[in-house]
Amino acid sequence: MTRRKLTRRIAMHLLLVPFLVFALFPFYHMLLTSLKQNKELYDRTAVPLLIRQGPTLEHYTKLLWDTAFLTWTKNSLLVTMISTFVSLIIATVAAYALARLQFFAVASLGTAIFVTYLVPTSLLFLPLAQVVNWLGLGDSKWALVVTYPTFLVPFCTWLLMGYFRTVPKEVEECAMVDGATRIQALWRIVLPIAVPGLVCAALFAFTLSWNEFIYALTFTSSSEQITASVGVTSELIRGDIYYWGSLMAGAVLASVPIVVLYVFFLDYYVSGLTAGAIK
Amino acid sequence: MPAITRRRFLTSTTGAGLAGILAMRTAPARGQQREVSYLCWNNFAPLMDKKLAEIGQRFTKDTGIKLKIDHIAAAQQAAKYASEVQSQAGHDMVEMRMHFPWLYEGQLVDLGDVVAELEKKYGKVLSSAAETARVHGTWRAVPQYHAMFVATYREDLFKKAGLKVPDTWEDLYTVGKELKKMGNPVGIPISQNYDSISTAGPVLWSYGGLEVDKDGKTVRINSPQTAQMIEWYKKMFRDCMEPEVLSWDDASNNQAIQQGKAGWIHNPVSAYIVAKQMKLPTADTINHHRTPGGPAGRHETDVPRHIGIWKFSKNAEPAKEFIRYLLGKRETYDEFIMSADAFNLPVYDKLQDHPVLKTDPKYAGLRAEGVQYHCYGWPAPPSDKVQLITNSFIMPNMIAKAVTGTSTKDAITWAESEMKKVMAG
Amino acid sequence: MSPALLLLLLLVAYPFCMALYFSVSNAFIGRPSHFIGIRNFLNLWQSDAFRQTFQNAFVFTGAAVGAKLVLGISLAMLLDQQLWFKRLIRGAVLLPWVIPTALSTLGWWWMFNSLYSVVNWTGLTLGLMDPPGPNWLGQKYYAMTAVVVVNIWRGLPFFVITILAGLVAIPRELYEAAEADGAGAFARFWHVTLPLLKPVLAIVVLFSTIFTFSDFNIVFVLTHGGPINSTHLFATLARQVGLETGRIGEGAAISLYLSPVLMLVVFAQLRFVRKQAY
Repeated sequence: MTRRKLTRRIAMHLLLVPFLVFALFPFYHMLLTSLKQNKELYDRTAVPLLIRQGPTLEHYTKLLWDTAFLTWTKNSLLVTMISTFVSLIIATVAAYALARLQFFAVASLGTAIFVTYLVPTSLLFLPLAQVVNWLGLGDSKWALVVTYPTFLVPFCTWLLMGYFRTVPKEVEECAMVDGATRIQALWRIVLPIAVPGLVCAALFAFTLSWNEFIYALTFTSSSEQITASVGVTSELIRGDIYYWGSLMAGAVLASVPIVVLYVFFLDYYVSGLTAGAIK
Repeated sequence: MPAITRRRFLTSTTGAGLAGILAMRTAPARGQQREVSYLCWNNFAPLMDKKLAEIGQRFTKDTGIKLKIDHIAAAQQAAKYASEVQSQAGHDMVEMRMHFPWLYEGQLVDLGDVVAELEKKYGKVLSSAAETARVHGTWRAVPQYHAMFVATYREDLFKKAGLKVPDTWEDLYTVGKELKKMGNPVGIPISQNYDSISTAGPVLWSYGGLEVDKDGKTVRINSPQTAQMIEWYKKMFRDCMEPEVLSWDDASNNQAIQQGKAGWIHNPVSAYIVAKQMKLPTADTINHHRTPGGPAGRHETDVPRHIGIWKFSKNAEPAKEFIRYLLGKRETYDEFIMSADAFNLPVYDKLQDHPVLKTDPKYAGLRAEGVQYHCYGWPAPPSDKVQLITNSFIMPNMIAKAVTGTSTKDAITWAESEMKKVMAG
Repeated sequence: MSPALLLLLLLVAYPFCMALYFSVSNAFIGRPSHFIGIRNFLNLWQSDAFRQTFQNAFVFTGAAVGAKLVLGISLAMLLDQQLWFKRLIRGAVLLPWVIPTALSTLGWWWMFNSLYSVVNWTGLTLGLMDPPGPNWLGQKYYAMTAVVVVNIWRGLPFFVITILAGLVAIPRELYEAAEADGAGAFARFWHVTLPLLKPVLAIVVLFSTIFTFSDFNIVFVLTHGGPINSTHLFATLARQVGLETGRIGEGAAISLYLSPVLMLVVFAQLRFVRKQAY
């Protein structure tokens, strides 16, 4: 590598530093808070950037053993994975159908998709609670699996529509002339090309479900049914008492596995993208 | 052709999926098994929640009625209750904090009979709890306990500087000036949170001022008494507190005294008890004293909590049995209160001198002779318009404006017009 | 067809229509409601808190989306380069998006906390601030800055991922051709990158604007709308009026106040994007 290129490379990395600090610092702070002893947390002369008085795992043990954190996380994972999966299937089918429609319909359907987001979930949850009750799903995580797609499918559909439209019709028509059905054409020809779009949609759907709060709060009540963010904020914030150490431990534990997942898929996603670009 | 394939695909999967999900619901219990559910807040005192569960299990053993207790954060109660009312389904019993019975009046069962029994045993319900649980003459919830605000101070600092425990809000100013000089200012929040109203209220009432009159209609905030209260806040802000109180939330004053900064705060006992539990160095130095008074008496904010039963519940009778079981027998009620370590105290007249107050000498200040307890908006009954005034934080915002440069007159005029707008509709 | 359609109606159409109905009715928790037309919308304008909220919403969304756009493009371009530790860096950049919002906002509250603020501590130690440092959540303009910063922190990864996808799709040949024609780095950006990114940017900005306007958690946890209503957004005011006080009709009107305008904007924007791309 030439010297000039090396300098440029280093400059690029240096430019990244402020972004990385901005993105990571709060996480570092949360991690630190979760490991500090209470007396250091409440000591106003303490240095916030370091642990001076000895780290402790008591907040983690309190979170894991004194609360039903593991159950809540299991619920979150279950709800998120299933709703992501369901939403992707519905969105794929819908996007495929819409991608093959005429031009005019697309604009109005695109508008319709965004219009569904104009009514915020913080208002929708009330009538939706009625519906959930009619379906007999009150106080159940299945209520979440059924309701989450309502805000996941529109965006995923829109995203996938864009990807499907880049696949030329002729390729599919070729396959169908060769005897494949629509479904087979979708499965064998279009989807492989649209994999980056699918991964992207899956990542968004996953994150939006994982983060969701108001539906999870409203449609579940029992400790066995609630999700992680509802459980942690409910159990560890009592009136004006905040169990900061354990709250931050909850934040850390609720993100680390997801980050690992993301890092793994992001690699795939980008390699899929670059492969597409080269072609 | 594509449409048919897709449609069939969708139909079959949706049908199967939905059927699968609906099949996973547990079938409702049939036969003799009676069941009740209770949605309770996550108590300040986790041990009280545990005790509640324990008493619940005993209840099931003694009566055969199954009891399910769910907990929710206090901040989320509004959203949850709204959805239960909207869908007319949910729990049988719900915890009703302060004025909630007024908000949900039409949805709550008349519990006058249960309250009458308890009053016969324990004496009259305290005025603050009665004002909030009895709506237009009907008891819509059964008062169980209350957590009142109390003056919390650093005893060691007072001793060191030879300061007298303040008896009036004026005394607090004198003492506060010294405390600030020592680097331990007074900590009273002036921000959009309920703790701010919990202090502003007592100060206003002790000067004889009020927001809305007893008739529930006339706005009376524009008065010389309000001006006195604002002048008091202005000088407190200037000489006894630091500007950070403008950003405080409900937990900030707790933290301020727990980590040794604040010399005096106004809060329920949570600040002290948590310091004790976490074994913080400040725990030994914190003590309580009686609420300061003013020319118009000694008034204090109270947070009573009641149990209500939704009208849509099909288990109102078993639910009433549980309430009777929990609160009706003296030994059980005492056990329940003792588990809370003075966070939550009995709300009935004859039980005011409760043994739990003797478990720690620092609880002596909670005994509160001569203090009148009220909830937000007193003396106006907590109708929804009065509640909107409270929830819009008009009073703290008025004070915040005054201490950050607006003239007292303008701040009061602003608050008056805002309150009048709310009352108008 | 029927189960799918039924589900669609129940889960999407019914709540949507009910929400719209609430806003044009005098709905109150647990009481029967009547249609009252646009009276809620008109009355709201009389409220000082609402007018302030209206202004706040535009300031908040304008600043946050603008910053996210500029920073998003910059960061995406950086990530598009050949990098060491690419996987780790990309993962790190994604972190804010991935932490549950309810919890990360609490983390920020602790960071801006008047008593322990690590932001102030750092500023003081580095000599950038005079003691005791700004009262981030208690002073009018600082509070808005704080909530905007947290929104940017949380929303930037969304911009970065989407723009990165758009960037990667731009064929390298176009850059090579421009370079051969003598275009410098900035010119290449302006004439090749930006035009080809326009459709992606338009959509991402549109989507982000809708979500930023209806943001709830950040303001609720950090400032509760204060100081003196200076950070209230539609969603937080709607909760205060609608849920905590029971006035569901008014709360719905607050939440939906901008919807007609936003709907027109969405339609126009999408039309524009289609025309541009094709």
